[in-house]
Amino acid sequence: MILQSLRIEQLRQFRNPFVLGNLQPGLNLIHGPNESGKSTLVRAIRAAFFERYRSTAVDDLRPWGDSAAAPTVALEFEHQGELWRLTKSFLQRKRCDLTIGTSSFSEDEAEEKLAELLGYQYPKRGASKAEHWGIPGLLWVEQGTGQDLEQSVEHAGDHLKSALNSLVGEVASSGGDEVIEVVRAQRNQLLTGTGKPRGEYAQLDKDCLAFEQTIGELKERILRYQEQVDRLGKLTRDYERTEAERPWEEVQRQLEQTQARYQQVQQLEQLQAQEKETLGQLLQSRRLLEQNKEYQENVGRQLAARKVELDKAQADLHRLELQKPASEARLRDAKAAYETAAQQVKQARFQEARTRLAQDVRRLEQRIQSLTQNLAKASDYQQQLEQARLQARENRIDAAEVKRLKTAEHQLSEATIRSSAIATRFSWDLEPERSVILDGDTLKNQGEQQLLEESSVVIPGVGKLGITPGGESLASTRRTLATLQQTVAELRASLGVDSVVSAEERLSAFEKAGRAQQHAEELLKSVAPSGMDPLVIEQREAQRELEAAKEQLSATPNPDASMETPDLATADVAFERAAAALTVAESEDQEHRTALMSAQQARDTAQAEWQRLADEEQSPERQQQLKQIAEELLGLEQKAKTLEQRLESRSREILEARPDLLKQDIERYHSTVNNLRQTHEDRGRELRDIKVRLEAWGAEGLEEQLNNQEAELEWCNRRYQELHRRAQALDLLLNMLTEKRQALTRRLQAPLQKHLDHYLSVLFPQATLEVDEQLRPGTFTRGSELGQVTELSFGAREQMGLISRLAYADLLREAGRPTLVILDDTLVHSDEERLDDMKRILFDAATRHQILLFTCHPEKWQDLGVPPVDIQALK
Amino acid sequence: MPRFLHTADWQMGRSYSRFDIEDGAALVEARFAGIEKLAQLANEHQCDAVLVAGDVFDAQTVSDRTIRRVFNATKGFDGPWVMLPGNHDAALAESVWTRAQRLGALPDNVHLALEPGVVSLEAQGLAVLCAPLTQRHTYGDLTEPFSQYETPDELLRIGLAHGSVQGLLSDDIDATNPIAPDRAEVSRLDYLALGDWHGTKRVNERTWYSGTHEAERFRNNDAGNALIVEITGPGAIPSVTQVVTGRYQWHQWRETLAIESDLEELLNRLTALPDASVVDLRLDGAITLACEERLLEALSVAEARFRSIQCDRSKLQLEPTEDDLAELHADGYVGEVIGELRQRQQEQQSEEARDALAILASLLKGRAQEGGQ
Repeated sequence: MILQSLRIEQLRQFRNPFVLGNLQPGLNLIHGPNESGKSTLVRAIRAAFFERYRSTAVDDLRPWGDSAAAPTVALEFEHQGELWRLTKSFLQRKRCDLTIGTSSFSEDEAEEKLAELLGYQYPKRGASKAEHWGIPGLLWVEQGTGQDLEQSVEHAGDHLKSALNSLVGEVASSGGDEVIEVVRAQRNQLLTGTGKPRGEYAQLDKDCLAFEQTIGELKERILRYQEQVDRLGKLTRDYERTEAERPWEEVQRQLEQTQARYQQVQQLEQLQAQEKETLGQLLQSRRLLEQNKEYQENVGRQLAARKVELDKAQADLHRLELQKPASEARLRDAKAAYETAAQQVKQARFQEARTRLAQDVRRLEQRIQSLTQNLAKASDYQQQLEQARLQARENRIDAAEVKRLKTAEHQLSEATIRSSAIATRFSWDLEPERSVILDGDTLKNQGEQQLLEESSVVIPGVGKLGITPGGESLASTRRTLATLQQTVAELRASLGVDSVVSAEERLSAFEKAGRAQQHAEELLKSVAPSGMDPLVIEQREAQRELEAAKEQLSATPNPDASMETPDLATADVAFERAAAALTVAESEDQEHRTALMSAQQARDTAQAEWQRLADEEQSPERQQQLKQIAEELLGLEQKAKTLEQRLESRSREILEARPDLLKQDIERYHSTVNNLRQTHEDRGRELRDIKVRLEAWGAEGLEEQLNNQEAELEWCNRRYQELHRRAQALDLLLNMLTEKRQALTRRLQAPLQKHLDHYLSVLFPQATLEVDEQLRPGTFTRGSELGQVTELSFGAREQMGLISRLAYADLLREAGRPTLVILDDTLVHSDEERLDDMKRILFDAATRHQILLFTCHPEKWQDLGVPPVDIQALK
Repeated sequence: MPRFLHTADWQMGRSYSRFDIEDGAALVEARFAGIEKLAQLANEHQCDAVLVAGDVFDAQTVSDRTIRRVFNATKGFDGPWVMLPGNHDAALAESVWTRAQRLGALPDNVHLALEPGVVSLEAQGLAVLCAPLTQRHTYGDLTEPFSQYETPDELLRIGLAHGSVQGLLSDDIDATNPIAPDRAEVSRLDYLALGDWHGTKRVNERTWYSGTHEAERFRNNDAGNALIVEITGPGAIPSVTQVVTGRYQWHQWRETLAIESDLEELLNRLTALPDASVVDLRLDGAITLACEERLLEALSVAEARFRSIQCDRSKLQLEPTEDDLAELHADGYVGEVIGELRQRQQEQQSEEARDALAILASLLKGRAQEGGQ
């Protein structure tokens, strides 16, 4: 297949017709910068083939903003000597026309022709996707997907294989793969991947088990049912037989006989017991009689004993009586000693009291005397005190005032002196009887007066003369003097003295009286601290006490001079001792008397006892009694003997009848009857129970159920076996088909491997790349390296991808299939060296296939040996 | 001139495990219908009584419904029915009979011979000497007491028993419930009506097995009949007429297919069978694909026609001819697989290989037909 020209119109940026013509059979390098429409050309080729002309999912072909556009692609290519012209319009004008040589096809028919030629499918609806692309998907490498080979190979699978089939000349089996898939699907309905039953097949197995279990249970129940039926038969027979025979009645009769026998024995036993009791009473009577007899025989012995007792009591009494005087004397002595001691104590008390009273009298007399003296002194001191007080009252003067007076007088005298010195001396010497009046004072004779004040002198008949003393201090001196004079006068007046001397005399007398008073007071206080009256009272008291003591003393008897009077303490001790001795003596005496009385009592009792016995022994009744007892005893003896004989014979009789066994027999018969009846009743009950049970079980139709279940099980088993056989057969068939298929694939791999090796030797001289069952490049080895292609670097993977695609192309070409290789900006990740190798490979491949290589890096491909086509230039 | 109908071995309550549920149900129904048919025949032949010689029921514990239906089915004939417990429905202390009594399912004209003795049908001129089984199995001859049973001279002495006449039937039948072959003679019986053997069988002129009224197994022993017995008077030789009561015929064929005409013949025989048939085929030998297709088609037709047809082909090898293979378009590796499967089938007698081959052939045929269309 050689693409010759491509024409597009109203397609993306190619609003106007664009023609890519003059395409060469080998390599074609088409370049243009980004957005020049390079990818659009590729898209156009793909759309021409892959997209349904009537697809609504190709909006991407529409020029931007042109909703009225009808994107159109026209292609011309040559294949096997015929020219194919394809024109496809989308969207607004949906059309597809194809001419092959002279034949024309249109629409769907045309599209099917193309798909058949190139080996791809159309999508059922929507846009064409990678899984539809088939072989072109493998050979037309889109930008940046060169390394992703696996998917492409898978999508191309069937087409590749059919190509290979024709190549290898071997029949791969028409539709064999389809058969495998059907077989696999049918097998998988029955078996899981690992060969285990599934679905109905597995369910049947479980159902069988369930049925078997149910059947087992049913059989078990039927068995039990049958057992119960058998049991019912046996029970019914037994029951009816027993009902007819009534075996318990015979036993009942035996029971009654035995009971009668046992009753007889019981009566015997009763009688025996009664007589035994009688015998016991007899024996008891005999014992009493014997006791009586023995008692009677005892009296003599008792009498002797009583006598001994009496004698002993008598002796005791006698001994005690002998002791009596001594005891009484001891008591008397003790009493006398006690009284003496008491007297002594009394005397000692008197003595003691007298001595004390005498001492009191002496003390009181002394006290009275001293009180009297004190009283005399006190009244003396009282007088002195009153004298001093009187003295003081008479001469009372204020010492401070006296001192002030003295000072004032002293100051006055000084002031007088000073005034005399400065005063106007007025002197006169009058003719007798002549007088002048100076300041009212009539002056006569002669004299002198010092004037300190303005004075006037009236001279009768002459008039009046005024004198005014001169000097500046005269006035003050005069005032001082006057003040002092007044003060002195006042003080004298208040003190009641006429001079300082008298004042001082008085003061001295006053102070003297004060001292005398103080002295007297202290003296008084020393003898009568509380005054006179207490002293008087005290004296009176003492006097009274004295009188009382004297009276008491005279009242206290004077101790007996004849007796020696011990002191009180000694007397007390002696007294206490005597009292104790008396108590002892009294108690001993008491004891003695008691003992004596007891002895007398004992003696009297013993005497009476002895007397009674002695009387009794001698009585005639006693003799009579003794005789009677002996007779009675004899009678009893005989009766007892008879009774004992009877008892013994009857006891033997009872023993022989074996009442214990009889009793057991009764029990035995009794329980036998019960058991027999019980068994019979139980049987009847069980019979009824079983009947009821069987009725219930019977109603279930167990065996019919079993029949049905067994039928189901058999059906299940049959179905299971069928499925089992089918599963086995399918499994076998699938295995065989798969094996054969794989063997075939291995044969098909060979030619592909050959082409792959061809290219690989250029790229990696020492490497191998193996094709796997799906015809994909698989294991890659280079020297010691071993791994999958997918593990290689991106660049290497891209290179591997490309050589693999070229190998597929070679394979397809050999099979007579069209091969067109389109590479869109491929190998961009290859380094210089590899790129060179790849160029060699491409050049080599281009000798067999048409290759369209689109790129935006024309400089990289300069040395490809073909003229580049510039899209820009073509526009 | 007393005349009675002798039947036995109804085996009511039995179900059929080997058939599809639907077919099994139909066969069960046929057994009930068979009883109605007996009643009808008894009327038609103006019989005085119907004697059932044991195994009325297949088991002691059948459903109440089955019990009621059995007695309902007898209603067509209002003369006396004498029913004898057999080994399947022995008169045990608790049995299907006591249940039937309790259920009140027994019509008045049905006489149950639950105890050994004579059922006297004076009006009918019959004294029926009954030897019911009262245990599941007995090893003594229960008919022995027949000799001691005294009956009025004017009545026919008819024995009714269930068991194996000794020395008559093959040894593999268990020797339980034995019956002396000369019982009729020894016990002065005019006729001995027997049950237990499912096919109609004459033991001697006075002793017969009636067989079951409706076949229920493939063993070919003349089942599905009843006997009309007519005896002119005490001591007279009975006149025994066999009448058909069964609806379905049971056929079990073992065939070997070697050449094509074998298949031809088999198909012809199948075609000849009445619709009311139950067929069990077991084929071996070999068959071509084309012939197998014919066989399958014929079986498909037969399935629709017969009550039941089962065909076991697991031993029938597939021998595709060259023509067969050409028709299958089995090219390439599929062809190889066919070859190998054929080889395995022949050499290893492998059923798997046979089945696998059949599956593959049918798949390929389907494809070929699709392709053809």
